[in-house]
Amino acid sequence: MKHITKVYGSLYANNDIPLTLNKGEILAVVGENGAGKSTLMKILYGLEQPTSGEIYLNGEKQNFRSPHDAIAKKIGMVQQHFMLLEPCTVAENIVYGKEPKKGLFFDREGAVKIVEELCEKYGLHIDPRLKVGDCPVGLQQRVEILKVLYQDADIIIFDEPSAVLTPQEVTELLATMRKLATMGKSIIIITHKLHEVMAVADRVMVMRLGKFIQEMPITETNIEEMSFLMVGRHVVERHVDPQPTGERVLDVKDLVLAGSDAKNILDHFNMHVDAGEIVGIAGVSGNGQSELIQCLTGLLPPTSGQILLQGKDVAGHSVGEIREAGCACIPEDRYLWGCAKEATLTETAIMAHQHKPELSKNGLLNSKGAKVFTQRLLDNYDVRNSGQSQKAGELSGGNIQKLIVAREMEQKSPLLIAAEPTRGVDIGAIEFIHGKLLEKRAEGDAVLLISSELTEIMSLSDRIYVIYEGQAAGEFRKEDATEEDLGILMMGGKLV
Amino acid sequence: MNSAYIASIINATLRSTTPILLAALGSAICSRVGVFNVALEAQMLIATFTSIAVNYFTGSALLSVVVGVASGALIGAIVAVLQVKYKAADMVVGTALNLLTTASTTFLLYLVFDRRGSLIDERLVSLTKINLPVIKDIPFVGRVLENLTFIDYICYIIAIALFIYLFKTVSGFRDLSVGINKTAAESLGTKATAIQMRMVILSGALCGLGGVALAMGQVIMFTENMTSGRGFIAMAAASLGMSHPLLTIVSSLFFGLCQSIGLALQNVIKSQLTTAIPYIATIIALVVFSKRNKKN
Repeated sequence: MKHITKVYGSLYANNDIPLTLNKGEILAVVGENGAGKSTLMKILYGLEQPTSGEIYLNGEKQNFRSPHDAIAKKIGMVQQHFMLLEPCTVAENIVYGKEPKKGLFFDREGAVKIVEELCEKYGLHIDPRLKVGDCPVGLQQRVEILKVLYQDADIIIFDEPSAVLTPQEVTELLATMRKLATMGKSIIIITHKLHEVMAVADRVMVMRLGKFIQEMPITETNIEEMSFLMVGRHVVERHVDPQPTGERVLDVKDLVLAGSDAKNILDHFNMHVDAGEIVGIAGVSGNGQSELIQCLTGLLPPTSGQILLQGKDVAGHSVGEIREAGCACIPEDRYLWGCAKEATLTETAIMAHQHKPELSKNGLLNSKGAKVFTQRLLDNYDVRNSGQSQKAGELSGGNIQKLIVAREMEQKSPLLIAAEPTRGVDIGAIEFIHGKLLEKRAEGDAVLLISSELTEIMSLSDRIYVIYEGQAAGEFRKEDATEEDLGILMMGGKLV
Repeated sequence: MNSAYIASIINATLRSTTPILLAALGSAICSRVGVFNVALEAQMLIATFTSIAVNYFTGSALLSVVVGVASGALIGAIVAVLQVKYKAADMVVGTALNLLTTASTTFLLYLVFDRRGSLIDERLVSLTKINLPVIKDIPFVGRVLENLTFIDYICYIIAIALFIYLFKTVSGFRDLSVGINKTAAESLGTKATAIQMRMVILSGALCGLGGVALAMGQVIMFTENMTSGRGFIAMAAASLGMSHPLLTIVSSLFFGLCQSIGLALQNVIKSQLTTAIPYIATIIALVVFSKRNKKN
């Protein structure tokens, strides 16, 4: 790819980017969110057309107008958000687009056979008859990879492939990529996880703000250099000093939430959070984390069990009562629970603060007070905005998240629940939000951190619980926790 | 209750099932490709009018059927363009077309035939009644299958054909994939919008055939708002049948039975009440079914 430029309005998503890929090589493209990695790959895969620039394949100039053209030239892409037909079988998903036929009919048995052969050839094992919807995420990704291999792709693009995987699944994925490369496939991996780059790539290309920054063989660089190039400054590794904990703020005893079938979503879940500590809950998403948050915050009434907030049982109480009792929450989905996209920044900021004397009197809002209050949050939390009347949905993900964090921190509650507080925000915002959570801890408050980013859990938490199928599968002190042990428990394994 | 009476009830059930089954299949294939088609009623009603009109002027039963089916498909095409291509709201498009068709057929009845209410005329020819040799002489079965038209038979063949197409062929698989995950289907090069439009037009044709069966089957006439909610009953039948062609046969037969029972009871109970039976059955069936569904 030569001189690739893509302009959206006045924004240069890609500015004169060069990219080369050799046969049998793994190239990592790294950069922060918004660096233009995805745009570049979309252009290569025909999903977007470049404003200017050319693509050459084996010396021949190409003009991809749709993924169809790219697939025809043996370019395949494993999307970050899987493109799968969940009610269909693995085999049906893989052969889609080039289905085997028997006479007039779709030869489903033939498809199973084809997939079995394909699995054998590449050493990627999966039962072709399984329903995709029943497969765990790691296997679903394998289906995506097999799909691309069935289309006979020579160039395979992986878009943030490890974002949804457990550590063990990541290890397996990296091994798969290596194997494919030795079989002569050329691979591009887009990621911001630098240890994966070091583990698997031959060459790395760094992008920042739509620009090409540097390209080098992996042997001639290291994580520190890459992260410096990505962010444009040095990222300090966070060091958290241990501190003594105070009294019990949250005590969850024997919490049960019945599911629609015999299985409980939360199954006698026990945990506690003390003042002055951050407690992390690690787990593959879908193991009851969301429901746990909803029970704790009053959105779902638990079937049985106790939730003691500062000694008072709040299980089954309303959201308002629980907030009143001393709980604030940074919700996991900022647009579903955290804010209304159409609300202004002022409205977003004062939500759940509106009854405070500085903001309202006798049921009437004090708009001047609201403005002052909002401005304070916007300034203190470095929320880039174009004025308080801007709509929440118009801010970038990182900025609206910072405003939500500000709003919840401002509750100054003894307990803060932070669910996926940095999901999909850039490194700068991540650092900032992490700093704020640690400030909260330093003030002697309790923080419950629920995250699918294991590194986030491990770097911030004083104690870690692993949640698996609604049960606390293990509890670690920070110094005893290793990624391997957590990963095993997260997948339902046992520690020996 | 003697066997002759039972046989006549079954016969009436088969006849009332035909229009519902055809429209329900139309509804089912639309939901299978992810389109909520509310205009079933319009697609049927237009066909009852056009088929009778063509019948009146040409005296050709075959031509009436063809024009009826084509007019249903035409309404389907309007739905396809507005709702699928230009993404207009399904309820709005469907309701507008339903109201428009009711009003315009009533208006045309007055304008073209100078009639109000209904069009019955001795010039109108009916579809050939089929009485199969040998079978017609078997006592019970003969009565059950008495005087059915070819549409009463063909609707089951269409259902089976749709089942085979959707679940056994490659292009049927692609069609289903559009309903399951349109983005995924498109990312793999399937022309999802074209498939949806085709299915909606086909649904129009099926409803059209249903309308023809209604106007030229048991009776040979057109009356204002002749379909009287059958499009919506069909929607319920498709939903009960989980948009599966074969299960839809079963659910449509159930609604057909309700209608024939309603007719049979007319002599016993007030007819205002008996005509409500199919609609009450629809509501009860939907409630029971969604409750069971929720449990799963």
